[in-house]
Amino acid sequence: MSEAPVDPNQLLQSLARRGLSLELQTLDVCFLAALQLRADSGALAAFSEEQLELVFDEVCAAIAPPDEPRRSASHAIRRLREQRLLARVDGAGVVRKGQYALTRLASGIVMFFIEEETLTRESLTVLTNTLQASLANIVAAAAGLSAPDDWRTQVVTPLRVTVADLVGGIQRRQRGFDVQQEDLQREIAGLLTADWFGAVGQCQSLLDATSATLGELNHMLLHGASQLQATLQEIQELAVIANADEAELSVRHVMDQIDRIAAWGSARQSAWSEYHQYVHRFLRDVVRLDPSRVLTHRLRDLLAGRAGRPFALAVAAAPPIRLLRAVTPPAGAKPEVKRRKPAADKPIEEVAADDPQARLDADVRGAIAAGAHGLREITAKLTSAMEPRERFVAAGRIAGALARVSDPDAAAERPWVDVNDAFQIEEWKERSAE
Amino acid sequence: MSQAFVTLEEAVQADAFPDVDLALRRGRHVDRDDAAHYAFLSDAQEVLEAFYRRFGCELVHRSDGYFYLLPTSDRLGRRHLSSGEMLVGQALTLLYLDPAAVERGGLVTREQVLAQLAGVMGTAPLLKALNPKRKRVDERVAEETARGKVVEALRRLESLGFVELIEPNQVRLRASLMRFAEPVRGAAAPEAALERLVAEGELVLTDLADEDDDEDVNASHDSHADPIDDPIDDPADDAPDTADEEAP
Repeated sequence: MSEAPVDPNQLLQSLARRGLSLELQTLDVCFLAALQLRADSGALAAFSEEQLELVFDEVCAAIAPPDEPRRSASHAIRRLREQRLLARVDGAGVVRKGQYALTRLASGIVMFFIEEETLTRESLTVLTNTLQASLANIVAAAAGLSAPDDWRTQVVTPLRVTVADLVGGIQRRQRGFDVQQEDLQREIAGLLTADWFGAVGQCQSLLDATSATLGELNHMLLHGASQLQATLQEIQELAVIANADEAELSVRHVMDQIDRIAAWGSARQSAWSEYHQYVHRFLRDVVRLDPSRVLTHRLRDLLAGRAGRPFALAVAAAPPIRLLRAVTPPAGAKPEVKRRKPAADKPIEEVAADDPQARLDADVRGAIAAGAHGLREITAKLTSAMEPRERFVAAGRIAGALARVSDPDAAAERPWVDVNDAFQIEEWKERSAE
Repeated sequence: MSQAFVTLEEAVQADAFPDVDLALRRGRHVDRDDAAHYAFLSDAQEVLEAFYRRFGCELVHRSDGYFYLLPTSDRLGRRHLSSGEMLVGQALTLLYLDPAAVERGGLVTREQVLAQLAGVMGTAPLLKALNPKRKRVDERVAEETARGKVVEALRRLESLGFVELIEPNQVRLRASLMRFAEPVRGAAAPEAALERLVAEGELVLTDLADEDDDEDVNASHDSHADPIDDPIDDPADDAPDTADEEAP
C-alpha cells in the first residue's frame, strides 16, 4: 500500500485520459456472480473458454425469459474483457484456447452484491481482536530492532499490509452497514405505505433492533479504538527512539485510520438517533392517531377545493422590540467636521523689521570698535566683500552712517584718497578718533 | 403541572425566557426539535399561560408536540397567513403525512412541494391561485411567479417554525405543520370544525374576493405587523403587467 500523497486532480485527469467507464447489464452481473461462485465451489484458479460458455448458458437459462433469443457467450466475454472484468491468464496467444480469471474489479463487484459484508458485533470483535494481536506482535518485534532494514521488514511492512487490510476490512463493513441503514429506511417507508397502521409494530421493532445494534457497535468501536491507539502509541515511541522515520509515518497513518473508524460510530449513532426520533414520533403522532389515513384524504380534498372552505391560520405578529444598538466609533483618524463658526485667527507674531540703515549704523560702529579710523579705512573695510558696482553706492551710505554715529572732523581741505583701488572719496576722520 | 417553575418570576428569570418570548410573539411555533425552548415551555406552561392571557393571547400546546401563541384580541398584534402560505402549508402537511417522507427522516425538496401542489390541485388551478390578479397570463411567467411564491412562502413558514430550510432546496418538515390539518382532524364535518376554529380565533374563513387580494386579509388584522412580515403577495404585482397581459 502506497502512502505517498495523491493529488486528486492528477488522479482524476489520469482516469479521464484513460477513458475509464463501466457498463454492465443485469446479465453481465449475473454472469460474473456465477463465475465467482463456480470458482469458489470448485476451487478453480481459471476458466477455460468452454467453461465460460457453459456458465454463460446456465445463467441465460436461469434468468432470461424462455421466449427471448439466445444470447451470445462470445459477445458477453468480449464485453467483460474490454472492461477489465475478465483477464486472460495463460499467455498462450493463438497457440491454443485461453484460460480466463475474474479480475480484482470483478470480484469486488460480485462481493458487493452477493456478500452481505456489513459490520456486526461478531465481525467487529474478530477483526478488532486480530488487529490487536497483530499490533502486539509488531510491538514485541520492534522492541529489539535497530537496523533500518529490520524496521522496514518487521514493522513497516506488517503495518502496511496486515494491519491496513484488517482496518480496511472494518471500514468496508462500515460502508456495508451504511448501505444496510439506507435499505432499512426504505423498508420502513415501504412497510408504512403497504400497511399503514399494521406496520407500526414491525417498524418499531426494526427501529429498536437497529438502535441497539448501532449503540453496541459504537461502544465496541470506541473501546477497541482506544486499546488499538495505545498499542500504536507504543510502536510510535519505539520508532522515535530508534529514529525510524518510515515506521513512525506508517504508525501515524494507521492511527488516523483508527480515528476515522471510531468517528464513524459516533456520527452514525447521532444521525440514527435523529432519524429514530422522527420515525418514532411519526408512528406515535401520525400513524396511531390516524389509523385509516382518513386525515390524508380529507386534507387532500381540502387542498384540492373539493371540501370545506378556504381559510387562513392566525398567528401572533407583535412588532419587534426596538433595541438601540451601541455605536462604536470607527477606528482611524477623526473625520472632517464642518464648524459652525470660523476658527479664530491665529495671533500675529511681531517680527522685527529689517532696517537697512540701522544695520549699516551697527556695521559702522562695529568697524570703529574694531579699530578702523577715517572714512577711507571704514569704507574700505565695509565694502571689501561687495561687488565692485555696489561699492560706490555703499560708499555714500557709509559716509552718512559714519556722520550719524560719530562726530566728523570736517576740515576745509579734504584729500581725495583711493578706496580699494576702485574709486576715490574725500577723506575725513571722526573727531573722537583723534 | 410545572415542576421547574412555581412562580412567574422564576420563569421570567430563566435564561430561555427572552428568546422564547420574542419567538412566540413573532408567531413562531416551538416544537420538540427546539429542544431547550420546548422543555422550558413545558416546565413553565402553567405560569406563562396566565402571563400571556393578560396580553390577550393564549399559549396553546398541541398534543402533536408544539406550542404557539394565539392572539385572541388585538393587543399584541396578529396576522393571518396569505393564500400562498396556506396552500404551501397544506401541501407540506400532506408530505408530512406521507410515508415516503419517513424514508428521509422528514426531509423533502422544494420540487416535491411543487409536485405535491400540482398533483393535488392540478397545474392550472395552482397557477391561478398563485397568480390571482392576472386575468390573462403567459404560462411561462405564471409558472415562474408560482415558483417564486412557493419559495417565499417556505421562507415565511420557516420563520413561523413550520419547517426548517436545511439547504436552499431541502426542507425539513416539523410537527407544527399539523396545525394546517386542524379543520379536518376531528370526527366532525369540516364545516363544523371550521366554525369552531373561527370562534376560537384560530383561523378566519377566506373567500374568493379575499384570495384575490391577500393583503386585505392580512392588513385588516395586522395593525402592528412588522413591515418585514408583509404578506407574500408583492404590492408590485398590483401594477398592470404589460409583459403578459394582452391589450384589450
